[in-house]
Amino acid sequence: MPSSCDEKIPRIEHHQNNSDVSITICGYWSLNSRERLRLLRRWESLVLQWKDVLRFEIKCDESLVWDSSLVVFLRNANRDLSVNGGQVVFLDLPAGLNKLLNLADEGQKRNKEQKQDPPSDGFLSMEALLKPLDFLGALVISFLNLVRGRSVMRWRDFFASARNCSASALPIVTLISFLTGVTMAFVGSVQLEKFNATIYVADLVSLAMVREMGALMVAIIMAGRTGAAFAAELGNMNLNEEIDSLETFGICSVSFLVLPRTLALFVMTPLLTIYADIVGILGGLLVGTLVMGFSALHYLEQTQSALTDMWEVYSGVSKSLFFGLIIGFVGCYKGVFSGRDSASLGKSVTSAVVISVTLIIIADAFFETAFSLLELR
Amino acid sequence: MNVSGRDDIVIRVESLDLAYGNHLVLKNISFEVRRGDCLVVMGGSGCGKSTLLKSMVGLLAPLRGKIIIDRDELWLNGDKKRKETLKKLGVLFQNGALWSSMTVFENVAMPLEIFTDLGVKEVENLVDYKLALVGLAGAGNFYPSELSGGMRKRAGLARAMAMDPEILFLDEPSAGLDPITSKRLDDLINELKESLGISFVVVTHELASIFDIADDSIFLDSESKEILAHGNPKDLLKENTLTKVRSFLERKTVNNS
Ligand SMILES: Nc1ncnc2c1ncn2[C@@H]1O[C@H](COP(=O)(O)OP(=O)(O)OP(=O)(O)O)[C@@H](O)[C@H]1O
Ligand SMILES: [Mg+2]
Repeated sequence: MPSSCDEKIPRIEHHQNNSDVSITICGYWSLNSRERLRLLRRWESLVLQWKDVLRFEIKCDESLVWDSSLVVFLRNANRDLSVNGGQVVFLDLPAGLNKLLNLADEGQKRNKEQKQDPPSDGFLSMEALLKPLDFLGALVISFLNLVRGRSVMRWRDFFASARNCSASALPIVTLISFLTGVTMAFVGSVQLEKFNATIYVADLVSLAMVREMGALMVAIIMAGRTGAAFAAELGNMNLNEEIDSLETFGICSVSFLVLPRTLALFVMTPLLTIYADIVGILGGLLVGTLVMGFSALHYLEQTQSALTDMWEVYSGVSKSLFFGLIIGFVGCYKGVFSGRDSASLGKSVTSAVVISVTLIIIADAFFETAFSLLELR
Repeated sequence: MNVSGRDDIVIRVESLDLAYGNHLVLKNISFEVRRGDCLVVMGGSGCGKSTLLKSMVGLLAPLRGKIIIDRDELWLNGDKKRKETLKKLGVLFQNGALWSSMTVFENVAMPLEIFTDLGVKEVENLVDYKLALVGLAGAGNFYPSELSGGMRKRAGLARAMAMDPEILFLDEPSAGLDPITSKRLDDLINELKESLGISFVVVTHELASIFDIADDSIFLDSESKEILAHGNPKDLLKENTLTKVRSFLERKTVNNS
């Protein structure tokens, strides 16, 4: 029978005399070897048998072939065998193996020294509530400074943001509000047919657009498009310490970065809302003329009579002012206070969108309730 | 007091404790920087050198202790007073921290545009001069993302010098630079020190640099979180007996020979 050390499998030989055990590692130790797993299982039961042994001598066979699997095995063996107070001695390990074991030990020691307390989770703490208020205060102050003409805000940053959140958003706003108008017209026409009042589709579409859908659709598009972009942009600047370097120059980051962006949204969201209202009404017109067979003039006259009270239009536009503020504020806040790694940057962007959409819907419900309580509707 | 009637000590740090949340990084740090001197901050990776710098440039409020810059206590006064004090400082961050939406030229020019009434032409001349000082003449039109790591460092240095600060804080200015550029940077530091009387606080691992530029140094230790050694690095090399300090300082001298 050939010696098992010649085969390509790992082996452990051991014999015990009194309170000493001598262990010889031999064979072929490889991470890929399936034999190794079987051997490790046997090893575990051996360790249990040796509870009372005082001294272990571990040495290696000369023809031993090894890789990381053996280093890991020896590290674990050292730990397992000394748990019960036994002494473990390594005898003439191959030089490379010895070095790797020592390096790993040192690295582990260093890690222990540097281990730090996990950061406390600030969720639902007082700070989580105060920080946004603090930020809002800073934004208001920097706005007042701007009004007094003492702000570091650069108008070209404002115009760049304004262009980004208006002109380049036109295609998507056009598409979505047009289709909203078309859809509402179809839905309305089915219901109104029952009462033989199909021309009131013009009222339905125009009122729904200017009161609700225009502002809401634009706000949601802006939150997903611009709010997310602000959070990502400012978050990345935070990551690069760019915001820190602004502060060290004595440049207020809120005035310099947050104000132009929020202001741009504040100005542009209402304009986009008016545009969306018009496009939505045109969507309704398309269905009214091509599908329902009204003349364009008739349809538009009906629309005009529905909108005689301009308050309907103003109420939607005034809501969108607030929506713009919400999106700008949440996007910038999430960006400035995102963590300093790319994973938390991703989280910040996501939560900027989720939080602004939620706040927009809440604010919308709030406005509608207030309008109806004040008998403005 | 020296002849100009100004305090000789430009920075005084007194029993400073620094922490991120409840993770204490440094404790009981005290040292002084004389006007026109270069203080080098040494220590192993992660021992809190950048953290110390951050709190000296007004970014991290200390847990305890004082930082006095030019007789103004940095963290005692309100935000407004602190901003005034910060205008005397220039800072180079470890990774450059250039404003990524602006070109190198705009990065250096922006503080000048915001805080001075200089005309366009004057700003242009000043920026060109500062960029030439750090060996980046002609790179003004690049965006930070188009620069190499070492070029970003140097652009950051040009920006830190934009407002002619009295004190420059440099976090590893020569990391990532080739030996020749790194030597040029050291010469620049010495030149600025001598001709303009600028004071420096420099974090660096480059031993050649340390011996070239340092008038004084502190050695931070991550285990005790305190200052392990304090003094001119050449004297430390001669006299200090602590193994940690010796092995840090000697490694390069061994390599150099
Ligand atoms: N923003 C942070 N939040 C929490 N802990 C931090 C933060 N920045 C650094 N630390 C911790 O503070 C300690 C010191 O970090 P610091 O960046 O000051 O080290 P350093 O001496 O500059 O190291 P290096 O030479 O590698 O730049 C480290 O243990 C690090 O984990
Ligand atoms: Mg550092």
